[in-house]
Amino acid sequence: MIEAKGLSKLYGPFRALDKVSFQVKRGEVVGFLGPNGAGKSTTMRILTCFISATGGTAKVHGVDVFDDPLEVRRKIGYLPQRAPLYGEMTVWDYLQFTSDMRGLDPSTFKSRMKRIVEVCGLAKVLGKDIRQLSHGYRQRVGLGQALVHDPPILILDEPTSDLDPNEKAEVIRYIQEIGKDRTVLLSTHNLAEVEAACARAIIVSKGRVVADGPLSDIRAKSGTVRYLVTIHEQKLYEGSEAYRAGSTRRPPSSDEVSEALGALPGVQRVRELPTDDKAHAFELSGALGGDLREAIFQLVVQKGWLLLEMRRESQTLEDVFKALTRGDERADRGRPLLAEDDDAAAVGGAAAGAAALASAADEDEDEDEDEDEDEADEGDDDAAEENGGDDESDGDDENDDDGDDDDADDDAKGKKDGR
Amino acid sequence: MSATLTIAKRELRANFDSPVAYVVICLSLIALGFTFFYYEGGFWQANRASFEMLFVYLPRGLSWVVIPVLTMRLIAEERRAGTLEMLITLPVKDHQVVLGKFLGTWAVVLGLIASTLLFPVLMFKFWHLGTLDWGPIFAGYIGLVFYSAAAVSLGLLVSSLTESQIIAFFVTWLLLLALHISGMFMNRVDDPSLQQILAFISFDARLVSFSRGLVTTRDLLYFASIAAMSLMASFRALERRKWS
Repeated sequence: MIEAKGLSKLYGPFRALDKVSFQVKRGEVVGFLGPNGAGKSTTMRILTCFISATGGTAKVHGVDVFDDPLEVRRKIGYLPQRAPLYGEMTVWDYLQFTSDMRGLDPSTFKSRMKRIVEVCGLAKVLGKDIRQLSHGYRQRVGLGQALVHDPPILILDEPTSDLDPNEKAEVIRYIQEIGKDRTVLLSTHNLAEVEAACARAIIVSKGRVVADGPLSDIRAKSGTVRYLVTIHEQKLYEGSEAYRAGSTRRPPSSDEVSEALGALPGVQRVRELPTDDKAHAFELSGALGGDLREAIFQLVVQKGWLLLEMRRESQTLEDVFKALTRGDERADRGRPLLAEDDDAAAVGGAAAGAAALASAADEDEDEDEDEDEDEADEGDDDAAEENGGDDESDGDDENDDDGDDDDADDDAKGKKDGR
Repeated sequence: MSATLTIAKRELRANFDSPVAYVVICLSLIALGFTFFYYEGGFWQANRASFEMLFVYLPRGLSWVVIPVLTMRLIAEERRAGTLEMLITLPVKDHQVVLGKFLGTWAVVLGLIASTLLFPVLMFKFWHLGTLDWGPIFAGYIGLVFYSAAAVSLGLLVSSLTESQIIAFFVTWLLLLALHISGMFMNRVDDPSLQQILAFISFDARLVSFSRGLVTTRDLLYFASIAAMSLMASFRALERRKWS
């Protein structure tokens, strides 16, 4: 239903999209994820024929967006970001206006309105001026106008932005309802919404697709599992053999626990977590197929430590998203344009992103902490960064098309770098 | 109804959904009445039944207040508010958007021009002030119809080049001011070719011919070609978003 092949968009030297390719099949509800400025809206504007791509092709319902934009627009219902509507019109008048623009006859419009009013919950506001409505109701009206011609494809650009949690939940419920019999491409940076409404997600970062697949596959892309282990900081388990034998009488230090956990076979990384309790809390990373809990338990028993908590959990979609899109907030859009022979690298961006995932998330958090420390110690550097004086790693990102490789290298150095 | 007419209808309604249009139209009619009847002696001191001055004051009032106010928001505001994206992603061609907006706004201006017909009709049909030569009146209104098309399309063009209504207002105002008063500078320049250019572009000089009952294809074509070129340029300005 929607097919994008190598879509690129340049705004002068600024590269908004970089050979984006994906497909959305009939009946799918697909989340189009990415941080602000990642290229989501640009992609949607190309698919809806509002702007033209600099390179690549896109087809909607089998129609090329460049060859026959009117036919494409007839097949889609589109809700742009923040639902821009004519505030001086009443809800009914606005929906009638979009119906007239789409060439629907009055009887068809009236019959469609029954369903739209029901699905979008517009019954109470049909006679009100749009400017008097809350953000939530405006989004509903925006959804209503996208549905007025009963399109087979819906493209929704951040339909829940600026909404309060209750309104967000309602809009997501409407999308779930609408998506039962339509193809929906839903752009957002709210991962909970994607988990609620979509079975598949496409993640874009810096104008490229970095992940594309079912949510379960994306979650598994990291290839790692997290373990949370909390050890009492001031007490030992007095019933342990080590305690009774007198070999251990002193509660463990943070370094001691970190070192011992890091030495366990299969542990890829150890990181201390901040706690309010009198405890040492650590996050461990292990391979997806393995289970370290038994080894951790044996270590704790052997050392005579008092175990307060141990938990094993897969990476969340949020972790994967953060890892894949890390560094997006930094200004690296001025990087050189891709040469023709970089095509393969660009198309394979998703694979490259996934390969670096396992370590990138952890490194990201470490980096944040390091930055905090740096800020505390060397506040003067802030001004330099604000003035464009990027640190060394930023500079690498700017000049390197595949910053994820750097992440992988950095992470390799930082492996088992417990604090 | 075609997309062009649907957009024109919406534009027409949008003008009357806010008090701006009512205020502008009422004040314009009051100001026109005052200047026509009392400014520098006005109609009563002329000692002849002539509406020539109506066709001088009315287009100036339109150009310096009404048309900049009505056209400033046409595309600039839509672009700023994001409604342009919503509009253009409906199944409509760019030229239909431009034409619809032009027709909707032109209709408001034509309505205002038509309302000034009350002056001669009331004075000479109902109050029987005397005999009036209706030829120059009709010719003057033909000139106003063509002039208003050119002025509205120029305002639309300026609005399509910016996101700021204020900038659109002042640029349109300056442009129309220059086109009206260029004829006044004709006798102050020595260069004959420049004199010809100033005379050629002057709105006032051409409207005077109409008000005296002279309808020439040259004047009609002048206003029509300004309108056509401005609409085409607006279309290009709108289309520019695709590649910018």
